Amino acid sequence: MKALMSLLMLGAALHAETFYLTVAGLGGEPEYDQRFSGWAKDLDKLLHEVEPHAKIKTLYGADATKANVEAYLREVAKEAKPDDSLVLMMIGHGTFDEFDYKFNLPGPDLTAAELAGFLDKIPAHELIVNMTSASGGSIATLEKPKRVVITATKTGTEKNATVFPRYWIEGMRDPAADSDKNEIVTALEVFRYAEEKTAKFYETQKRLATEHALIEDAGKGDGVKVPSAENGEGLIAGRFALLHLGASAAQIRDPAKLMLLKKKEELEASIDDLKYRKASMAVQEYRQQLQTFMLELARTQAELDK
Amino acid sequence: MPARTLRQLWRTPMACRVETLSTLALIAVPLLAQIPAAVEPCEQLRHHGDARATACYENLTHAKDLAVQAEGYWGIGNYKSANDLFRDAVKAKPKDPAPLVRWGYLYIDHWQPSIASDCFSDAAALDDKYGPAFVGLAQVAADGYSAKAIEFARRALGLDPRLYHAQEVLARVALEDNNEGKAAEEAKKALDISPDALDAMAILATIDWLADKKDSPWLAKILKINPHYGEAYDIAGHYFVINRRYEEGIAFYRKALELDPNLQKARSALGLNLMRLGREDEARSLMEQAWNAGYQSDETKNTLMLMDKYKDFDTFRTPTTVLRLGKKEAALLRPYFQAELDRALATYEKKYKYKLPGPVQLEVYPEHPDFEVRTMGMPGLGALGVTFDSVVAMDSPNSRKPGTFHWDSTLWHELSHVYVLNMTKSRVPRWFTEGLAVYEETAASPDWGDRLDPDAIEAIRTKKLLSISDIDRGFIHPAYPAQVIVSYFQAGKICNFIEQKWGYDKLIAMVHDYAELKPTPEVIELEFKMKPEEFDRQFLSWIEAQTKRTVDGFDEWKKTVKRISEYAKEKQWDDVIREGVRVRDLYAEYVEAASVYEFLADAYMAKGEKDKQMAELARYSKIGGRNPVTLKQLAQLQSDAGQKREAAATLERINLIYPKDEDLHKRLGALYLDLNNPTAAVREFTALVAMPPIDPAGAHYELARALKLANRIEEAKDEVLSSLEAAPNFKPAQRLLLELNVKQ
Repeated sequence: MKALMSLLMLGAALHAETFYLTVAGLGGEPEYDQRFSGWAKDLDKLLHEVEPHAKIKTLYGADATKANVEAYLREVAKEAKPDDSLVLMMIGHGTFDEFDYKFNLPGPDLTAAELAGFLDKIPAHELIVNMTSASGGSIATLEKPKRVVITATKTGTEKNATVFPRYWIEGMRDPAADSDKNEIVTALEVFRYAEEKTAKFYETQKRLATEHALIEDAGKGDGVKVPSAENGEGLIAGRFALLHLGASAAQIRDPAKLMLLKKKEELEASIDDLKYRKASMAVQEYRQQLQTFMLELARTQAELDK
Repeated sequence: MPARTLRQLWRTPMACRVETLSTLALIAVPLLAQIPAAVEPCEQLRHHGDARATACYENLTHAKDLAVQAEGYWGIGNYKSANDLFRDAVKAKPKDPAPLVRWGYLYIDHWQPSIASDCFSDAAALDDKYGPAFVGLAQVAADGYSAKAIEFARRALGLDPRLYHAQEVLARVALEDNNEGKAAEEAKKALDISPDALDAMAILATIDWLADKKDSPWLAKILKINPHYGEAYDIAGHYFVINRRYEEGIAFYRKALELDPNLQKARSALGLNLMRLGREDEARSLMEQAWNAGYQSDETKNTLMLMDKYKDFDTFRTPTTVLRLGKKEAALLRPYFQAELDRALATYEKKYKYKLPGPVQLEVYPEHPDFEVRTMGMPGLGALGVTFDSVVAMDSPNSRKPGTFHWDSTLWHELSHVYVLNMTKSRVPRWFTEGLAVYEETAASPDWGDRLDPDAIEAIRTKKLLSISDIDRGFIHPAYPAQVIVSYFQAGKICNFIEQKWGYDKLIAMVHDYAELKPTPEVIELEFKMKPEEFDRQFLSWIEAQTKRTVDGFDEWKKTVKRISEYAKEKQWDDVIREGVRVRDLYAEYVEAASVYEFLADAYMAKGEKDKQMAELARYSKIGGRNPVTLKQLAQLQSDAGQKREAAATLERINLIYPKDEDLHKRLGALYLDLNNPTAAVREFTALVAMPPIDPAGAHYELARALKLANRIEEAKDEVLSSLEAAPNFKPAQRLLLELNVKQ
């Protein structure tokens, strides 16, 4: 199952396009303006380094207007195919008045409803990372089946400036975020990384946490902090390739390696099965079998990498 | 354990302030204020321990006078009805301070001193010539170790010289300051006023017992008046405990209960002190008994709740140590704590030329409020560690904001107490054991311990340091908020002064002098052949010379740092550097938030002058700067400059400050691998795995690498499998697995 998922992701990476739109809104005061545009620039630089073939658009300062966001999303709607992906990352201040969430931009603000309207016209897979204050207030409007929505706060009433974006960017940069080490960093992996680091920030500083990040990808519900099979969240995000770190994708193009890839998939399936049975096995027996499979998988990978 | 709901009395509708004061009702409470005449006979019976007192109080519950009825219910232990009736009595006589004062004593008796204080204050506001109100205020202040107790007691005596309880408060405070002479004088004055003043006699008996006189004539006098007066031993227990003579204190509490099995406050105190010494089974049983008998003070409740939490701890034993750590952090902290515990014990055994009779128990509390309850029974304690004979309780580094707490320095401080308390059988004044412990912190490492802080500078400048004969007062009854901290500083510096002038052996000689119960003035004369006044003169001249530059330049430094902060905000880096370099050494020891070192480092970084930035941060670290973020910055610069050994040393400092840092262990482990120090690398990556980390596959892989380098191949295989279990396609781990198996 997991191996199949990775192939699906790789396939998507091979043939499909990813559009990245980063928007840093109004800071309201120089310190925040600087911080928000700084984060947007960091993301822009990172994306150009890691995904040089992707379509990357970054709006900050005076350019980060509702009109420019709308214009770019209309462009994506025209260009994108169903296998493509859109990653929208929103940084800045947001507000929520019990009814509408608004992203504070120079000129008119962008409401969640307006944004949902633009996104609904795009046929691609979508990842919306709303990292603004009060961003939790946007979940209900933005959520949709097969769309991943991540927010820095759990409700619209968490109004303080957020630190989540700092750790989201760090997660995109830090290889440690790729927890299964398959060289594809998924939305779910970065969410987990950023969520944990944000929580630790408040714990370490002995401050009351004023933001609690959520993820929603089932198209219904309030979003969750810990996605799992039980709550039905995280499945799409776990397949959503946010960044590709290695050369795994290229191996699929080589027909000579297809046999090895098949063997690798079978071994991965056996390992998953073994892990599933772990609780019912003696420790020594489990370790022994795990070692056998892992050695075989390592040898197969070594062959693939030749 | 069933849920415990604290039984409280509420003095509604009047507002009550919430404070945390210890309840130590030293004095036979109902005699403290003007008692209605109808109550007097009952009080007399009670004062003499006559069993007929209960029936007498029972009769009073049928009286017409509300205040008398209240006294009756109080006398038979029905606090709720007594409380309701006092409220009505106060309403009925709104101009009369007497029922308010009696109501206040009910609250003291019912372990709610903050409300008691409100009652006494209201009574004093009604009539500022009403002495009993000030006696009540004095008692509440004394319970909270406030120096205001003396002021209130003197005011009460000024209004009415017959108020012998005020005299008893003065005796009690003097004895807490270890001023036995004055305590005896004040107690005798109380007896001159009232020959039946039981607590004054108890103070006098305690003075004898503290001086190791087994038989005090005062006890016989007390028992002649009241053969069941367990409070006398309860009072003694308190003084032995505050003098850290816990075993003897416990013995006194036991005697108190023998005389009066219903004295629940003694039972609770006995339980608390047994818990302090790690005897938890008996402690829990006594606390439960007190609780179930209705003694539901905050201390009792908190202690029981803490003992419920002990299941969340793991205990590790060696022949010389018992280490108790929170389950969630044990794997991370144990290697560091065990190593330092062993190292400190070995060091002190040599320095003090003394072998401890049994293992030392170290308890590390992940939650600061639990540590407070463990040590005081109540939250609100500012300390970081506390020693009870051979048991040390301290905060976990994870319970404090990173950079605000050096756990290893605290550990060495407390372990010094363990030795001194054992060597002297706890017969050591507070100032000396604290001073020696402070001295030992910086002796262990110059960047440990506390720096000269603004409060100490102010105390030196305004000549507020205490004389050596009087310095204990600064610890027990501080006259200004910072005096405890200043006293720690002064005591530590006195030990530095002695060591520099006469050598370290003199400090050890003083330990032995104190073990023989010699008072400080005598110890000074014996060891230094001079009067305490001359010692003070020489010490002050030494400390003033040592701190002159900082004391004289402090105002200028303060003003300039404010300016530097503005320059830094405006990114005027040249101005930051010019002014920073000029004033930095005026107060070189300042390494707290907004230190000149950090401003200068930021300025050099902005100007791209990495060498100067590194040099500035190295100064900060050497002097004792503790901010992990700043230290990591220094380590990065050192590492970039190829100074890997120095970088590792800098990161090692953070391990002793705030080890719950994933990035720290990852970086330090990598440095040790580069430095070909696999043992240290294994320790660091083991800590990384224990965090637990965001990237378990990466952490297990790094640990496997270090183990391989340490030639611990089987363990390395286990770790690399754990890594691959988390991430089967992790290529570096796959390669390592193949490598390890080829070798086999």
